[in-house]
Amino acid sequence: MLKFLNKVTEYGKESLQSARYIGQGLAVTFDHMKRRPITVQYPYEKLIPSERFRGRIHFEFDKCISCEVCVRVCPINLPVVDWEFNKEIKKKQLKHYSIDFGVCIFCANCVEYCPTNCLSVTEEYELSTFDRHELNFDSVAMGRLPYKVTQDPMVTPIREFAYLPAGELEGHTVSHTAPRAGETPAEIVARSQPKTASASTQAASEEDKA
Amino acid sequence: MNPGIDLQQRFIETLMDLGLTPGVAKTIWLPIPMLLMIIGATVGVLVSVWLERKISAAAQQRIGPEFIGPLGILAPVADGIKLVFKEDVVPAKTDPWLFTLGPILVVIPVFFSYLIVPFGQNLLITDLGIGIFFWIALSSIAPIGLLMAGYSSNNKYSLIGGLRAAAQSISYELPLALAVLAVVMMSNSLSTLDIVHQQTGYGLLGWNVWRQPIGFLLFWIAALAECERLPFDLPEAEEELVAGYQTEYAGMKFALFYLGSYVNLVLSSLMVAVLYFGGWDLPVPTGLIASWMHVDPNNAIFELTTAGLGLVMTLLKAYFFLFLAILVRWTVPRVRIDQLLNFGWKFLLPVGLVNLLLTAGLKLSFPFAFGG
Amino acid sequence: MNLAEGVRLVSLIILSVMMLGTALGVVLFENIVYSAFTLGGVFISISGLYILLNADFVSAAQILIYVGAVNVLILFAIMLVNKQEDFEVLPRRWIRKVSTAFVSLALFALLATMVLQTNWPVNPSKQPPASSVLAIGIHFFTDYLLPFELASILLLMALVGAVVIARRENIVGEETAIVSEEPPHIFELPERPREPIS
Repeated sequence: MLKFLNKVTEYGKESLQSARYIGQGLAVTFDHMKRRPITVQYPYEKLIPSERFRGRIHFEFDKCISCEVCVRVCPINLPVVDWEFNKEIKKKQLKHYSIDFGVCIFCANCVEYCPTNCLSVTEEYELSTFDRHELNFDSVAMGRLPYKVTQDPMVTPIREFAYLPAGELEGHTVSHTAPRAGETPAEIVARSQPKTASASTQAASEEDKA
Repeated sequence: MNPGIDLQQRFIETLMDLGLTPGVAKTIWLPIPMLLMIIGATVGVLVSVWLERKISAAAQQRIGPEFIGPLGILAPVADGIKLVFKEDVVPAKTDPWLFTLGPILVVIPVFFSYLIVPFGQNLLITDLGIGIFFWIALSSIAPIGLLMAGYSSNNKYSLIGGLRAAAQSISYELPLALAVLAVVMMSNSLSTLDIVHQQTGYGLLGWNVWRQPIGFLLFWIAALAECERLPFDLPEAEEELVAGYQTEYAGMKFALFYLGSYVNLVLSSLMVAVLYFGGWDLPVPTGLIASWMHVDPNNAIFELTTAGLGLVMTLLKAYFFLFLAILVRWTVPRVRIDQLLNFGWKFLLPVGLVNLLLTAGLKLSFPFAFGG
Repeated sequence: MNLAEGVRLVSLIILSVMMLGTALGVVLFENIVYSAFTLGGVFISISGLYILLNADFVSAAQILIYVGAVNVLILFAIMLVNKQEDFEVLPRRWIRKVSTAFVSLALFALLATMVLQTNWPVNPSKQPPASSVLAIGIHFFTDYLLPFELASILLLMALVGAVVIARRENIVGEETAIVSEEPPHIFELPERPREPIS
């Protein structure tokens, strides 16, 4: 009889325990209801892309030496470099350059290896079109600079979590100009360099902040 | 107990004053409460769908529907209109008759059950002698419709979903009925009106939930399982069965399933409110309020206000449980089919029997508190 | 004829037609699933007839037990035993059909004459009981006590048996591990030993 009662009490205890766990879970869910939605309402609010964001690739026609390194390092040999050997100046002369961003995987290897830094990544990611052939950007299209999120009057820019000031958890509640937690690379450089040479770097960091 | 306001009598008398015979007046009255109830149930569904979407969003720190009407309140209407205008696809090699009959059989019993839901002293369609038993009996028709839908879809996921739904609703009907039986035992009547009357008089303290805490939990769990809400939504477990018995449905037939499930949820919440939380009873007894405000309890305006407040109370209580159901949906993961059946048969059923026995014993020993 | 009587007559006709039609469907459909579904229709129309006879509790119980349990069980059995089997056309199948029809018609004739010849004690002036549940309960605990208790004991036995079978814990997948002289019986799964509760 005692054994049976023991079993019953144990069973009851286990049931109570599980009920308590469910209650804890409900408390967590309920707690989430009073938090602010983290939704970024896209066309009206936009996240500021991070510093290392690899968006659409920018191309400067005049810097290109048609070396085709970008084609070699590309995983799928995507960039199309159309050049002609100019006998008069004994140099390759670029005629057309294009990358199809419908196929590009945005690895930015081309940017990494470009010897003249004529390629660079931008923070543009809004590449939707009605026709996929429109994504085949030529040198003119690639030469355009994207709108900065912070400069668009129609858009409320919101910072990503990692760029918020210390102690802040919500991008919505913080101004996007408030200084972020920790130091920016420019500030670190300014601090580590001797005082005499700091004038120019200070200016640089100011520029960076702006 | 004061009889309150008799709408039917008033309406018929008004019509007779206009020069109609009593027979005609009654005939005009007959369809009105039913129509009102169907409209009310549908609006209740729209509200609950909106709440579901908004609360789900809040629980996940999202915003939810926002631009379709103020606060996205028209989103369920837009859903409904979309579903009505969608093409009614009947897949190849299905059984067209059973395929059409399935959703109808699921929806009709649920709407019928609204016959016995009291929103106030006289705000119910019929005070059936079998009351709450009518609801339990009607809810057992739905599995037939689900099996029909599952079988006729000619799809193995649908078939398994239908079979699971049927198994689930038969096994959770028993604990549900046992929990209801304990309440019925205390109020000595199956009628929903009598069940509420038995709880009125002491305000908050008189509600059945204090006398039947185990029964309440049992009822709520079983009701969630009957409605196929999330911890128990195996019949439409999307990871395993696509959408269960609804897989092949589109357009209006799918809308019927959707409507049926939400009407059922609202109905179950209403039933919890009626059975365990005093229905239209206010948390403070009306007699006490009247004495505080120095008003005669039989004053017409006071009566009208309390009746209106009673309606609001019923809905508030019901929607509180709807809210709880939505919260549970985002808290508890889905159980497995064997866990579900084990839980129903090996835990809820014995607990329900013990609860019934306890209630009977308490009723014999404390007849004043447990409705001797 | 007032409104109530008219509604009653119309619903009686509708329910009777529905019941006869679905009952014929149960017998005549070739597809067994259709038969099972129409059986549900029969039960529902019978419960409607009970309502017309002022037996509301019985009609609800009819729906709950026959539609909700019995019919679903039948459907379950049909759908789970999904055996595709083509029946061979028997050479003299019509003999079977004709004889079945004959037996059924004879039975129908017998019952019909019985119904027509019995002098039913119809007493329309008698009021129906205020609460059919109460009346049924009083009958259960006075003049029908023995059958009621016997039925409840039978159901209890079934319940206990079901629990015993359900609580048995079979060791699945360990048959090969058991080394014994004689091969274990094919239809038995080895059970996990349980300590008896004392």
